[in-house]
Amino acid sequence: MRLSLRPGEVIDRSRPLRFTWNGHDYPAFLGDTISSALAASGERVMSRSFKYSRPRGVLTADSLDPGCIVQVGDEPNVRASHRRVEDGMIASPQNVWPSLRFDVKVANRAVSRFLSAGFYYKTFMKPQRLWPAYEAVLKRFASGGVISNRPAAGYFDKRYAHPDVVVAGGGPAGMSAAVAAAEAGAQVMLVESEHELGGHLRWGGAHELSVLAELKAAVSATNSIEVLIDSVVAGRYDGNFLAILQRSLPGVTERLIKARAKTLIVAPGLIERPYVFAGNDLPGVMLSGAARRLINLWAVKPGTRAVVFTANSSGDAAAQDLEGAGVEVCCVEDARRGGDVVRASGSATLQSVECGDGRTYQCDLLVTATGWTAPTSLLNMAGDKPTYDERAARFFPCSLPEDVLATGGITGDGSLEQILEHAAHTGRLAAGRARVAGGRLRKGVPHAAPTDSPVAEEQSNAITALPVDAHVALFRGRTHGFVDFSEDVSSKELEAAVAEGYSSIELAKRYTTATMGSAQGKLEVVNAVAVVAAATESTITETGTTVWRPPYAPITLGALAGRTLEPVRYSPMQSWHEARGATPLVAGAWIRPDHYGNPTAEVRNVRSNVGLIDVTPLGKFDLRGPDAAKLLSQLYVNKWAKLAVGSVRYGVMCAEDGVVLDDGVTGRLSDDNYLMTATSSGADTLLEWAESWLQTEHPEWRVHITPVTSDFASINVAGPKSRTLLERLVENVDLSAEAFPYMRVRRGRVAGVEDCLMWRIGFTGELSFELHVPSSYGLHVWESLMEQGADLGIAPFGIEAQRILRLEKGHLIVGQDTDGLTRAYSAELDWAIKLDKEDFSGKPELSWQAERSDWPKLVGLRPEDVTVVPPEASQIVHDGAIAGRITSSRMSPTLGRPICLGLVAPHLAEPGTELSIVLPAGVRARAVVTEHLAHFDPEGQRLRG
Amino acid sequence: MSGRDRISRALTPVTGRLSGKPYKSIRNTLGKGTGEKRGQARYSAFDLFRRGFTKDPWPPVWREHELSSSYDVVVVGGGVHGLAIAYYLAHRHGITNVCVLDKSYVGSGGSGRNTAIIRSNYLTPDGVRFYDRSVKLYENLSAELNFNVMFSQRGHLTLAHNDSSLRTMRWRAEVNKLENIDSEVIGPEEIKKLVPYLDVSSEPRYPILGALYHPPGGIIRHDAVVWGYARGADTAGVHIHQNTEVVGINVSSGRVTGVRTNRGDISAPIVVNATAGWASLISNMVGVRMPITTSPLQAAVTEPVKPFLNTVVVSGSLHVYMSQTDRGELVFGASVDPFPSYSMRGSLDFIEGLASHVLELMPALSKMRVLRQWAGLCDMTPDYSPIMGFTPVEGFLVDVGWGTYGFKAGPVSGEAMAQLIADNKTPQIIEAFALERFGTGELLGEKGAASVGH
Repeated sequence: MRLSLRPGEVIDRSRPLRFTWNGHDYPAFLGDTISSALAASGERVMSRSFKYSRPRGVLTADSLDPGCIVQVGDEPNVRASHRRVEDGMIASPQNVWPSLRFDVKVANRAVSRFLSAGFYYKTFMKPQRLWPAYEAVLKRFASGGVISNRPAAGYFDKRYAHPDVVVAGGGPAGMSAAVAAAEAGAQVMLVESEHELGGHLRWGGAHELSVLAELKAAVSATNSIEVLIDSVVAGRYDGNFLAILQRSLPGVTERLIKARAKTLIVAPGLIERPYVFAGNDLPGVMLSGAARRLINLWAVKPGTRAVVFTANSSGDAAAQDLEGAGVEVCCVEDARRGGDVVRASGSATLQSVECGDGRTYQCDLLVTATGWTAPTSLLNMAGDKPTYDERAARFFPCSLPEDVLATGGITGDGSLEQILEHAAHTGRLAAGRARVAGGRLRKGVPHAAPTDSPVAEEQSNAITALPVDAHVALFRGRTHGFVDFSEDVSSKELEAAVAEGYSSIELAKRYTTATMGSAQGKLEVVNAVAVVAAATESTITETGTTVWRPPYAPITLGALAGRTLEPVRYSPMQSWHEARGATPLVAGAWIRPDHYGNPTAEVRNVRSNVGLIDVTPLGKFDLRGPDAAKLLSQLYVNKWAKLAVGSVRYGVMCAEDGVVLDDGVTGRLSDDNYLMTATSSGADTLLEWAESWLQTEHPEWRVHITPVTSDFASINVAGPKSRTLLERLVENVDLSAEAFPYMRVRRGRVAGVEDCLMWRIGFTGELSFELHVPSSYGLHVWESLMEQGADLGIAPFGIEAQRILRLEKGHLIVGQDTDGLTRAYSAELDWAIKLDKEDFSGKPELSWQAERSDWPKLVGLRPEDVTVVPPEASQIVHDGAIAGRITSSRMSPTLGRPICLGLVAPHLAEPGTELSIVLPAGVRARAVVTEHLAHFDPEGQRLRG
Repeated sequence: MSGRDRISRALTPVTGRLSGKPYKSIRNTLGKGTGEKRGQARYSAFDLFRRGFTKDPWPPVWREHELSSSYDVVVVGGGVHGLAIAYYLAHRHGITNVCVLDKSYVGSGGSGRNTAIIRSNYLTPDGVRFYDRSVKLYENLSAELNFNVMFSQRGHLTLAHNDSSLRTMRWRAEVNKLENIDSEVIGPEEIKKLVPYLDVSSEPRYPILGALYHPPGGIIRHDAVVWGYARGADTAGVHIHQNTEVVGINVSSGRVTGVRTNRGDISAPIVVNATAGWASLISNMVGVRMPITTSPLQAAVTEPVKPFLNTVVVSGSLHVYMSQTDRGELVFGASVDPFPSYSMRGSLDFIEGLASHVLELMPALSKMRVLRQWAGLCDMTPDYSPIMGFTPVEGFLVDVGWGTYGFKAGPVSGEAMAQLIADNKTPQIIEAFALERFGTGELLGEKGAASVGH
């Protein structure tokens, strides 16, 4: 029922809205939350509990409300006591089948005595084969909303910020701290989880509202405060790196602000704690804050006849508010004078309350105000271990790092004026520390000398701590009730868990799942600790709390992911490939042509005419400096000192365990300048690898390594007619075999483009020239080659053809023909390994391998059946055991038979050995070990031509 | 420490005495036990029902004891490994004068932080046989322990997003099939049938080309495994000491003589290091260096939604694995953090990357919320395989180096280590995992699979 105008109400009565709940149409005003609108329409049951299917209603009337979690459109688990109604919104309850009013799982309540926490550990064990059926039943209890199999609507984004001071909490303390910090010169971000600033002032009396108006005015008058409402500091990570979830940005569902704050002020206020007693979860039982919020913010009358159980001023104020709203308060049970409530009863909603003295009241509302929980999560994330104060019956910050401060209710009590002053002082302090931190950053001193510490300056100006009031310690009453509402865990179950031996808070938590639900313990943990402490006859301090883990409030995957930014790398010739209908191949970050329709024809053309392949993704690194050769020598198993300017060499790189890591060709361009190439997929790793040697092992070496992969478009021109083609386009370089022999590098002009590098190498086994041309001219050079080669039968070829060509030639691919255990000798790379070098990565292991012969070997394999290609990864078996595998296999267009490489056990590596290969259908095929890895032109006549 | 140092330094101190030493057998001194066996309170539907009526409380799942001054075997680490060792020692070999020490509560380390995935589709025959034994033990564990560990063999999919990982999947499938493990490579259409929410179109940046499907794989209730073993061990008289931290290990003439704890000293001829995350620190106490670096592995869990994912989904390329618990939560894990650390705090960077990869796989999940994140510690060895058995210090045994695969191996490790202790001889099934291999170079090949996934 809607009350007449309240001074602090947040609803706009001139803006009526309609929304759907549970299939029915409901009215609301702009500013209503889903649950306030439903409450205004007289609805009291918002959900059914997850295990016992108990009806649940409004308990806290804020984002923690465990019984008000609903589905809104395609969004599950929406906090109905926080989310505002939008016109046309479709909301529905989650844990109800078939309906909110009639729920078949209600039968669970009848058997609840058998379904105590952890019951499932004790049954459904036999027969084992029936477990899937039992499991299917258990799954029916899964709580939560529904995710439909369509991409969810919404836009998610991220933002980076570098504020001086972030204030977590926009209540009176947070506002006062933010204003003071800003006045002291800081750029401030003020983050409030509700839809408006003000905290508890908003549902207070005239004095609170006037203070609120002043604070709001001060905040909006201060330019250097950025206010974020409906936003929450969800995590504090090392270096004061904050995850702030913002929901208030128009057009953006959620935005993750990643703020590197110089100082963080934690001012979240306090969370009102439920009281544990029989029936404490009945709709109609709510906390004092909830009653006050419903009345004062949304003008909703929460009931007609009420019992108020109070231990503090919030409960007293709630009693007044209720009376002011026309609710009959039939009893105020004051805990400070020994009052208690024992039991709340009712069938679906509250009907009567039994008090500590045995009197029973018929009523439809019970308001409890039994105490506060300090939301210390952010402090814990900052390394603090808050300590429990028995007198105040709550936790307080203990020791905070210099860049985190706390103020407001989390640090103490006191009058509103005292709190505002404490907060203002904290704000000035935070601004001062931010200034010092900023100064350090500018000086590039990460953690400067103690003279830079603001502490000395602060000591003369220390903050007067807030007073701490005594408070009745109220956690559980005489009866058992729910400790965790969202997980349906009662104090009785917690006690039983302790009695069974799950006696530490962590074990009790894991066994009962208490504190593991939607509020992540913010509402429940202190009651849980108190119950466990009582059951183990220890104190709350001895029992301790569970660990608070980020995030403080749940964050959507969408916000965490932001816009999907998965960059794609293309070569400058990509448009040409696409126009020719090339089939794309996803190769790590790159997308490149796999083939242009017929890889077999592409292979034949390379062997007989000339082909072009775009090898731009090849990793390329510019090495400069007098110690470049030392770096090469450290990285590769080969020698480099004597590589002449104008020559290139194939190098093999091993990790420290001797396992082949990468391979590629490096050319010496001048005395102190090399161009190193790496496998396309290994390029990123290789840079890190080289830098790790340079930065951690040999910082004294004078050499720079610069990745230049995309500076060049790389084109391999391969085939017997490649020289003829290039002679038409290359100027000022003599391409004759005598002047430009195999394994040399030249620099010259190609198709009019200066500074192209050419090297004569032959991965395909043919005469070939690899061109590295400035990338902006890549397409031009490519098209010129295609044009000039038309009469030579030129055709492009893709990765598939290249794989076949190299397999015919027996050139290995690192990572395919080698694996995570293949040391260089296994890969038939003996010729490259120079153990007489002083040092290189992998040398100790390779020296050791060199003395042995019991390692697998890479061999060429010739299947006997010329029509069947054994698939890659087929296993080679010998004497009933796995003795190797096929690493590469293709049908060779050149030879007209299948060709393979394989890694085999040493005793099977001799040429001529017959091997047995397991084909997919389980049948065996025979193959013979060949003399060379190369199936075609083992002498290398063609590539040297 | 860089990897290259790691290997050489790890080898130096053990050179010359590489072969681990068996200890003087405890068989001769056996038979006294702790003398505290008791009848087991059976768990059953009937008993649940009966106690529901009579309100009889359940007996403690395990008991608390004073620290004895000596035990035959001291197991350091009260996770699934340590407790399983104690359980099998007591139940299979009658060795009951055993204690398990944990510096916190049982299952507080890796056993309570992993993502509870069980599978046996490994790459090497040794690995496959070992983990298959573990799966078999897990399959009967609820019945054996009389504690429902909720092993849900819902199937395990490892996605391939490029042809090289598809090749590795085939390799694994071929090895698995030869070892009689149910494992095969399937295509996008079959994947879609198993997991309708996966985007198997060519739209994603890294399209799904195929997957290794392993039907017996699944998830388990990890805490229940820990508690079940603890209860079983306790029933047979094993002492479980929580909040008991080992601060030193006594060695005399190359032999272990006992441990020092924050609650007092214990003498024992055999000390088993069954810790994860702290394995190298415990081993350092007796001067045995382990070729181990420790890195965090992070995980996260979402709010629950109604069941929609009935398979474990792993993507090595996208560094993510996910499953939906029976409670409806999605559990996510990633690869090991790329730097060594003992930190168990989560990072923002991790959940951001995780979320973006999850949405790449399942775009429908963008409005699901992450509820909490955490980290566990992984002891990584150079060959991605554990270190089990004897060490150069007589009586000091290790069951360590469990990387990201420790939970999967809990039962088989417990069984094998108990056998080793009872026989004073390394059982065949763990021979390949001996510490000596780092001296002889016989490393294992699990690293061979580019993606060591979950």
